[in-house]
Amino acid sequence: MTAVETAPVPIRPGFVTWVRQRLFPNVASGVVTVILTPILVYLGYRAVMFVAVNGRWEVVSRNLTLFMQGTFPRDEQWRIVVQILLLALALGVGASTAGAAAVDRAREAGLPVVKQPLSQVVRRFWPIGLFVLVLLYFASTLTPWLVVAGALAAFGLGNTARFLPSRLRNLGWLLMTLLIVAGFQVVSGTTGRSWVMSAMLVAVGVLVAFPLDGLAPRARLAARAGMALLAAAVVFGIYTLIPLEGIGWDQWSGLFLTLWVSALAIILSFPLGLLLALARRSSLPAIRVLATGYIELIRGVPLITLLFMGQYILPFTLPPGSNLSSISRAIAAMTLFTAAYVAEIVRGGLQSLPTGQNEAAQALGLSASKAMRLIILPQALRAVIPAMVGQFISIFKDSSLLYILAINEFLGVRSLVHAQADFRSIAHAETLVFVAFGYWAFSYSMSKESQRLERRLRVGL
Amino acid sequence: MTSTRAGANVRPPFWRDVRVLRVVGQILAIVAVFLLLRWLYGNLVTNSGRVGFDLDFGFLTQPTQFQIPNHDEFNPRSPVWQMVLVGVKNTLLASFFGVIVAAIVGVIVGIARLSQNWLAAKLATAYVEFFRNIPPLVIIVFFAFAVFLYGPLPNLRESIEIRAPGTDHNLLTLSLEQWGIPSIADNGALVWYALFVALGLVVSALVWRWRTRVNDETGAPHHRLLWSLGILLAILAVGFLVLGEPFRITWPTLSENRRRLVDGFAISAAFISVAGALGLYTASHVAEIVRGSILAVSRGQTEASNALALSNFQRYRFVVLPQALRIALPPLINQCLNLVKNTSLAAAVGYSEITVLTQASIGNGRPAVPSIVILMLVYLTLSLVISALLNVVNRRMTLVSR
Repeated sequence: MTAVETAPVPIRPGFVTWVRQRLFPNVASGVVTVILTPILVYLGYRAVMFVAVNGRWEVVSRNLTLFMQGTFPRDEQWRIVVQILLLALALGVGASTAGAAAVDRAREAGLPVVKQPLSQVVRRFWPIGLFVLVLLYFASTLTPWLVVAGALAAFGLGNTARFLPSRLRNLGWLLMTLLIVAGFQVVSGTTGRSWVMSAMLVAVGVLVAFPLDGLAPRARLAARAGMALLAAAVVFGIYTLIPLEGIGWDQWSGLFLTLWVSALAIILSFPLGLLLALARRSSLPAIRVLATGYIELIRGVPLITLLFMGQYILPFTLPPGSNLSSISRAIAAMTLFTAAYVAEIVRGGLQSLPTGQNEAAQALGLSASKAMRLIILPQALRAVIPAMVGQFISIFKDSSLLYILAINEFLGVRSLVHAQADFRSIAHAETLVFVAFGYWAFSYSMSKESQRLERRLRVGL
Repeated sequence: MTSTRAGANVRPPFWRDVRVLRVVGQILAIVAVFLLLRWLYGNLVTNSGRVGFDLDFGFLTQPTQFQIPNHDEFNPRSPVWQMVLVGVKNTLLASFFGVIVAAIVGVIVGIARLSQNWLAAKLATAYVEFFRNIPPLVIIVFFAFAVFLYGPLPNLRESIEIRAPGTDHNLLTLSLEQWGIPSIADNGALVWYALFVALGLVVSALVWRWRTRVNDETGAPHHRLLWSLGILLAILAVGFLVLGEPFRITWPTLSENRRRLVDGFAISAAFISVAGALGLYTASHVAEIVRGSILAVSRGQTEASNALALSNFQRYRFVVLPQALRIALPPLINQCLNLVKNTSLAAAVGYSEITVLTQASIGNGRPAVPSIVILMLVYLTLSLVISALLNVVNRRMTLVSR
């Protein structure tokens, strides 16, 4: 490229030109503009009047806590606050670790490092930011302000993880896992069997953080097993030492419940969906038929029928005496449902890989399981990240179905609000608009994020 | 390997023999699934004996014991299987109108997103991004509560009556419980007239094919629409005259005490909530499909039609849309399927489709397990029918594309 060639500078048309080109390019388009303008002006006027003048928004401001945490015991609210702080910290650690890892990779590859300006982050997550601002606007006490300030501070603190030396980068991921587990347990307690799940997560985190690749194969296996067991033992020890009584799922509600239910459904369904996808592509006919049957059966019925199954049938298919809360059963139903969709997504990722990958792995003498683990899955799973985010949005929206089971998640909380004498038959539009805005803010941000990932990873199924 | 004796005909021990392992693995998988199901079923039987509920389908012939609102032909003594039929009918009805709304709105919005007109494009984008990102259930509940139940409309007794211009018939009555629209009433020969309608449709279809053939063979203008429509209308008019007014139009009218709608056709608010909300929600997905498939038609096609000096309309009608349709149809049918499954969300507003009725009948003491099995079978059947349709369409499409 010679020095004279420069990228063409786009010419910004003047206002009049712009109007003529984009609003009145021809007769038909001009007619559309003339018809749409008054309609838009009227709708805009009504919307502004509703938001700023007519709306009886005290129904939201007086019940803000109810919308956020529902019937969660008020005395235990500190747990949610601590959880938010821990999760913000985890988010900060995760974001900065991911960023630093990207910088490391760019350096290794000798590429220039482009720093992402803050404005771009704002542009990516403005709906959630707007939602938080609306919450703060409705806040009648100081607590929400303190929580938001604390969360921002925690996020900033977590960002210091970028200063870890690059060979300890994995520690950042481990720290994030630990913080998330801690955040979850602060609310759900450390007594009972809750240590099992945490121990498993922490063990996986430790194994990822310290792969011990340097050791000889035999010793490596033993060392890994020992490390995982040690991690599990430490978790068990901590949980026994600090027996924190938990607030069970059956007492969670509001937006808090909505977010956790969808997160748990997608997290729990992922391993199941992965297995189903592999089973569906298995060369063993019996396994393939079983997996295909399950996936198609689940995909053929609406989620609500599975939720009914969870409510009306599941309790009776377990031995007498086993007692699951209705939220646990709903999460089980949503997990089984989502697993079928995750399986199809993962299958799409597996099919998107050229067969050459598998053949190359075979040519290198890798066993089938090693080829799958080292060659196929990493690429396939990377390709399905955007679709998985899409599935998360879908399950996030579907969690509103718990309302039909009389569980008070974000949409269901409305029935508590309108049970109050002051709001019995008024302001339904206001609460619904608020709820819809909450759902919209999260889904819209995530769908933008999934589109961005699709461009970034250059994948599209 | 030091020993070269290990030739091809020495079989490995059976626990390392892939051929054996494959069979054993499959048997193990089947046994494991079978044991799991047996365990679950065993618990179910134990619990049914303990708690006392049925697992058989005998309840289908017992009376339902509750009244379905707005269904006068149904009473609490009608057997449960009739309730299932009513539910399936209502599911299909809501799906049908939902699909119509979704198709009309979706196509308009999808094309508007590609419009040169800035206003139309932005408005369409806003529509898509808004409706796609809120749960359909929230939209349904919004319609049911904010538009109807606690909304601006008056109740049935003070229905807004919109007169047909120049007459004193009601064209439309609006209230928060029911909307009335004109309908037709049987004068005794409606069944026979239906025969005429069927005949008219068949004849006009034949005429359509004949005109197409004429056009293909001679190049003469086909005027298919004109011919078919003309023939259809002619047959309908002849039928009307021959049978001597087989039906009459009834206008929605409020009864003397203004408690209910007589004549016309009453649409319940719950139906409008479900069909309208799902239609608007699905329309956002349809719009994306329409837009995507138009964009997917390669630019070369547009350039080629420009080179042939086709007008904008001709380019769309004869080049772009036929190809876009082929890309769009499979995902569109999928959206239909989603809409049918989403009608189950009516459970929140009590539109009496199959899910609501099943829930109500379980609440009335009918056994849950067989009821839910029937419910799932209904949806599975609907899914299978639509998937079969999708397969047929796919096959036709690939045939066309060669």
